[in-house]
Amino acid sequence: MHRSRLMLLLVALVLPALSGAQGWPSEGPPPPLAVHRVDFPDYQLRTLPNGLQVLVVPHHEQPSVSFRLLVGAGAVQEPADRPGVASMVASLLNQGTATKSAGEIATLIDSAGGILGVGSANELTSVYGAVIKDRTDLALALASDLVQHPAFPADEIALHRKQSLSALQVGYDDPDYLANAVFDRIIFGLHPFGRPNEGTPQSIERITQSDLAAFHRTWFVPNNALLAIVGDVTVEEGFAAAAQAFGNWERRSVPEITLPTPPVAARRVVVIDRPGSAQTEIRVGHLAIPRTHPDYIAFDLAIRILGGEGANRLFGVLRSDRGLTYGASADFHAFRSSGDVEAETNTRTSGTGESLRLMVDEFARLRRELVHPAELRGAQDFMAGHFPLSIETPAAIAEQVLTRLFYGQSPSEIETYLDKVARVTPAEIQRVAREWLKPDQLSIVLVGDAATFVDQLKTMGFSEYERIPIADLDLDAPTLRRSPAGRAPAPGLPPA
Amino acid sequence: MIRTPWPRALALAASLLIVLGAAPPDTIVRPPKFDYKMTTLPNGLQVVLLEDHSTPIVHLAVWYHVGSKDEKPGRTGFAHLFEHLMFKGSKNVKPDQHPSWITSIGGEANAETDEDATIYWETVPAQHLPLVLWLEADRMASLDVSEDKFKTEREVVKEERRMRYENQPFGRLPEIIFDKAFTTHPYKHQTIGSMADLEAASISDVRAFYRTYYVPNNATAVLVGDFDSGEAQQLVQRFLGRVPPGKPVPREIPAEPPHRGESRVSVTEAWPLPAVVVSYHITYDGHPDAYPLHILAKILSDGDSSRLYKSLVYEKQIALAAFGEAKLIEHPNLFYAVAIVQPGHQPQEALRELDRQLELVRQNGVTADELNRAKRQFARDYILGRETVRQKALHLGHAVVIHNDIKSADGEFDLFQKVSLEDVQRVARTYFTPESRMLLTILPREAAAAGRP
Repeated sequence: MHRSRLMLLLVALVLPALSGAQGWPSEGPPPPLAVHRVDFPDYQLRTLPNGLQVLVVPHHEQPSVSFRLLVGAGAVQEPADRPGVASMVASLLNQGTATKSAGEIATLIDSAGGILGVGSANELTSVYGAVIKDRTDLALALASDLVQHPAFPADEIALHRKQSLSALQVGYDDPDYLANAVFDRIIFGLHPFGRPNEGTPQSIERITQSDLAAFHRTWFVPNNALLAIVGDVTVEEGFAAAAQAFGNWERRSVPEITLPTPPVAARRVVVIDRPGSAQTEIRVGHLAIPRTHPDYIAFDLAIRILGGEGANRLFGVLRSDRGLTYGASADFHAFRSSGDVEAETNTRTSGTGESLRLMVDEFARLRRELVHPAELRGAQDFMAGHFPLSIETPAAIAEQVLTRLFYGQSPSEIETYLDKVARVTPAEIQRVAREWLKPDQLSIVLVGDAATFVDQLKTMGFSEYERIPIADLDLDAPTLRRSPAGRAPAPGLPPA
Repeated sequence: MIRTPWPRALALAASLLIVLGAAPPDTIVRPPKFDYKMTTLPNGLQVVLLEDHSTPIVHLAVWYHVGSKDEKPGRTGFAHLFEHLMFKGSKNVKPDQHPSWITSIGGEANAETDEDATIYWETVPAQHLPLVLWLEADRMASLDVSEDKFKTEREVVKEERRMRYENQPFGRLPEIIFDKAFTTHPYKHQTIGSMADLEAASISDVRAFYRTYYVPNNATAVLVGDFDSGEAQQLVQRFLGRVPPGKPVPREIPAEPPHRGESRVSVTEAWPLPAVVVSYHITYDGHPDAYPLHILAKILSDGDSSRLYKSLVYEKQIALAAFGEAKLIEHPNLFYAVAIVQPGHQPQEALRELDRQLELVRQNGVTADELNRAKRQFARDYILGRETVRQKALHLGHAVVIHNDIKSADGEFDLFQKVSLEDVQRVARTYFTPESRMLLTILPREAAAAGRP
């Protein structure tokens, strides 16, 4: 502070007409205005006779209507040797139905000036869209046709396979994609969450039309789905449109899912060697608790302090203090049945060892030291203050309700959630950190030019690691290595 | 077209009385207009206020009319590097205290730099309006960056360049396109700049840049949200109004000379697949031709029924992805189309098809169905792009700073809806000329080394 003042003065002597900072007052920030009242906007929930839960959020500012349909069908339900089925089913929903070709679907939605998209994740498939309001019925009818009657035509499967293989060829050269895929693979092992959602080159070749049709038939039923309609409709118009489009979707019973237990956390350090990389992508973390766990709120706050908005120790240590990276964060991914904590950054190759050491130390510090009350309050105040920002658009409002419904919680939790957050104490943060963070069992993935940084790893105390050339990477194999003799692990390597 | 969707069929039936050959009319509901107030303070600061009481939040965006096209040779990347330094302390705000203040009240804050402007913004609960005005005024009047902070932040920006451009497949694509397409205008370089120039920047550059461009007479404050305009205007005057004015801002930006012949360029990159590009020099944002050019880009590139997707990705299956854009910004820029080539196909095959698709528009124009579709897609983007206070402020700020005409924030809706088939073909004929064409091929390094195409 002192030094820069002096410099400014020196500059002022040499260069005339500096911006008048000399006359600028020394003062603190002004007080806030009166607090404006925040109410969670109106929404209505109903269940159609076929079991489809429908949420309507009226919002009349702009003449548009958006919708999102969530189906409880994701990677978690895929056959173990067919990773990529859920993703391929989702991608092919809009590539042909019993009555419309892919081209007809595209022309219909594009001519309406609409958006119609599909996506899939670990536990769900989503179909979403947006249209100017006079095309609402057309868009919903189309969405309904896609989820009820996809045809999975052979030529579309062939094109999709070709596109997926090319996309994976790009992905396997993308350090960010690889770091995430390898991280999931090593912490979840053979659990479905460990498999790449988009499949592997081998599995994409294996998937057949009957795999797709069977997956669709089993899981795409209204009693396993949620629909949100938001925007320039009244509540009654919204429910009427939902019933008209989806009312004839036939209810069927849905099988119970039995999941393998995720593996016990065990440290594994994997270096994916990508020569010529300008940076090293780093991932650090391990398994954590599911979304429905009683410690969810406190643990979520702990991870926000580690690397989330409102606090973010990793950002402070890696970026603000040392200029090692553009971004550093930690995320708590919580699913219905499991979860993980994952810290990530990317740094110049010469900063790899230092960045990794700092990240691991921050995991340990959260257990070792009680968080300062002001730091915890910062994270709590962010969440409380941020609430009105999080309900600005009808889609954001719908997402808050849908998330609760999807995890089997009451939407009324939205109103009590922030009170629960505010009650968490520094001691509670330390308790959950000690219970659920295991700094000595962290798994680590480094994707970069190995020759430039492996010596740094030893210096920083990471003397054991697996080094895998990028050309040998096989996400299907427990060893992560392509082996000439099928999938047998190479001798001398640790099991997955 | 036989596959006419029913709304279009109804529209067609209703249009039998219309003059033969006219496109079927498609009445699109007009989104609400902005009810803004605009003033200029005595220090030259332009102020736009838009009340929006739908959610109890406010958004402040301060635009400085300086971007990477204002950078001098040898200092590429400086406008963006400078943006980072605006968070590194001023007379009453310690380094990094600005973002931590904003998050402690639950707000969001960030900044963006592009070729033409630099925008600093905050979205906060409505009662904190005085704080964000005070924070912006403090850094507009009294930025105070230490040499240490400057050097650390320069490293952060170098990491940003490595992350976005150097370490991901196709990351340098825009850098290559604009570097090869321009000879003179600073649009030749990317906003991120070169490593060497970032390294060469000094703290004295920081001070000179601040003094030249970060003055109220080069700034526009846009405020959107849950406030009373009278009260907000007083607060703006109280905090931002007391920042002393600066000198007039220099605008010595070299123009791009006319291009006199087609250029064919081939380069290599460490990418997994080849990419091919066709580009043409076009006009600037706000020129009457800009609207048909945007429409044309939509017809070529928006949705699975667009021409480039249908031809290159779906029917011929020679591209993993194909898309195009009319990059319409403050000074004349490019229309370009890109294809990422499928393994097993020749880059030249994809390049020929991209070129052919643009040529087809030049020769035959587009259809009435395509034009209607593009207008609906535009209306959708227009509506969905005006949902949040931040989006609204972005449109208002853009209209004031880039168009120098706030009325364009609303007026463009009608300009787009009036675009005709003749307009689309006319702009294709005007701009898609051999003299301004570039055909660019980017081959994976190993394939190029092995003598494969």
